[in-house]
Amino acid sequence: MLELQFDDLVAAPPVVLVVEDDPGLRTLLMRTLRENGFHVLSAGSGPEMLRCLEGAHVDMILLDVMLPGANGFDLCRAVRQTSAVPIIIVSARGDEADRLVGLELGADDYVPKPFSAKELIARIRATLRRTRGQVGPAARPTRAQIAFAGWIVDPAARELVSPEGVSVELSGAEFDLLLALLSHPQRVIGRERLLELSRARLADASDRSIDVLVSRLRRKLSGAGDGNAIIRTVRGVGYMLAHPVKRV
Amino acid sequence: MIWRPWPQGLIGRVILVMMSAVLIEFTASSLVFERIDLNSSRAEQAHHLAEQLAVASRILGETPEARRPIVARELSSQTATVQWGEGSFRPPEEQDGWLARLPADMERWEPTLAGRDLRLDLLGGEAGPRGRLIASMRMDDGSRVQISTRITTNPWEIFWSGLGSVAVLSAGVLLAAVLLVRIFGGPLRSLAEAAESVGQGAPVHVREEGAGDLRRVARAFNAMQGRITDLITARTHALAAVSHDLRTPLARLRLRAGLVSDADTRESLERDVDEMSGMLDSLLAYLGGRQEAEAPRRIDLAAMCMTVVDAAVDAGETATYRGPERLAADIRVSAVKRAFENLVQNALIYGGRADVSLLEAGDRIVLRVEDAGPGIPEADHARVREAFERLDGARARNTGGLGLGLSIVDRVAQQEGGEFILANRPTGGLRAELRLPLASQK
Repeated sequence: MLELQFDDLVAAPPVVLVVEDDPGLRTLLMRTLRENGFHVLSAGSGPEMLRCLEGAHVDMILLDVMLPGANGFDLCRAVRQTSAVPIIIVSARGDEADRLVGLELGADDYVPKPFSAKELIARIRATLRRTRGQVGPAARPTRAQIAFAGWIVDPAARELVSPEGVSVELSGAEFDLLLALLSHPQRVIGRERLLELSRARLADASDRSIDVLVSRLRRKLSGAGDGNAIIRTVRGVGYMLAHPVKRV
Repeated sequence: MIWRPWPQGLIGRVILVMMSAVLIEFTASSLVFERIDLNSSRAEQAHHLAEQLAVASRILGETPEARRPIVARELSSQTATVQWGEGSFRPPEEQDGWLARLPADMERWEPTLAGRDLRLDLLGGEAGPRGRLIASMRMDDGSRVQISTRITTNPWEIFWSGLGSVAVLSAGVLLAAVLLVRIFGGPLRSLAEAAESVGQGAPVHVREEGAGDLRRVARAFNAMQGRITDLITARTHALAAVSHDLRTPLARLRLRAGLVSDADTRESLERDVDEMSGMLDSLLAYLGGRQEAEAPRRIDLAAMCMTVVDAAVDAGETATYRGPERLAADIRVSAVKRAFENLVQNALIYGGRADVSLLEAGDRIVLRVEDAGPGIPEADHARVREAFERLDGARARNTGGLGLGLSIVDRVAQQEGGEFILANRPTGGLRAELRLPLASQK
């Protein structure tokens, strides 16, 4: 499968801990993740999850918010005190307030139910890629933000803020494309690579759709100046983010 | 303003009733008591006249006839004129009751006048300022003496002086009305305001003050409002809880759908899950709007419009965007986006395409969505904003959803202090506009 060719996945399969109290959904999640090349552990409650974390190495936690006896947000906070393991919150409550609370407490992403397998796998991969090398006992800064040309990107909250302080909405694919460009600033990235990096979000994957996506992203970045000046076209090869990038 | 004889406010009516009472009282007392007053003052005058007449007849009787006119002139004063000779009098039958009874009264008062053929009459009108009362009697020698005297009291004077007391009374009524406004008006007004705002946001507590009855009304109102709020909250919570709980089985269904090998079945399963999930989302958006208030954030409306339009295009629909590349606004982002998506979805489902334009008009930002469908009959424009209302029967197309789309738009417009306007385009199709105030955009 194409996913397995990613350099960050070729070594040992990442270990994902699924914390979900609904047995049916837990089984389905485990099956889906296994089929996509992950090693899966599972827990049905908060205490079970903590036992799991003590006993095994975990690369990522998939955490349901509504668990018997414990709130997923409290568990998220508890985990963050000792570990920087990436956490994706899965919630039946899809509203904005909940999402922000989750991210504020140190979660790396927030997936509302009902999600498709494709979407979930894409989110897990993106989060693993983003947090790679940051897993360890040393607490990493929560909500790391990226700055370029006056713009600020919050990868966890999936938010882009213009130099004037205006929040600019991007589609999922546009945001992933921007993150891909930001991960290799001032270096040319080929169309195919960009397609891979933001592929999960695209309905029909083709070279042309990357061009469409880039033009949409440029249009949204253009307000503060020239969108072309931020994302530069390298003829016949691909695109490049023309500005240096800084973590804030 | 239209002048209405019957005032609409309680205080106005109270004043009117009190004023009417004062007026009736005044009229009645004018008719009864002041009539008596007038008569007694006239009787007094008549008695005085009787005395003058007796004195004049005695003096003139002792005076030689040649000197009588001169003496008579000397006896005259500023108010009364004495004359010796015959006068002209109407016969008593033509005189009114009071005047006809007067001679007997005068004879009782001045017995010397008895048997002297006393005659009386009024000259120059009873009520006028030139009205005079004349009296004549036969002297011992058969000749007659007459005295005419000005009537000093007339009914108008009494009436005008009565008006003074009416003015005092009216002032009293106004004062009482002001007190009434303070005692009843305030609590009643706040009760009315509270009743009007029930169901439009946070419950309003009515202060229990004023008269005992009003306090009871306020207490009952607060209790009633509390019960209604509790009831609605309980139902809303129950509905929201069920909606949230349904998402876990839906998530299972969606993952299971991914395992189905037959592509057609898988796709239709996924569509079903999408539809159910969409219904839950709109139901929660509808319920959520009542519960929690999202804080406004500064976002780029143009980017929001482009995202929604691009998503529609990617899904194979026909959608366009026309407007600025950038338009910053302080709005409740997820609520406004939800409303805008509903408009675009409606246009795509019922109108085949969605042409979005974003513009500034006066003090408003206009999010306009136009389609190429049959439009909505003018008469149904209000109805489609109602929750759970759908016009599918008229549109002959079975579509998913709960019929909450436009009612959510309507509420978001209200929350943002804007408007939601529907109009049929002259060229066909529906034009839906979500107008947001520019004032808060700093």
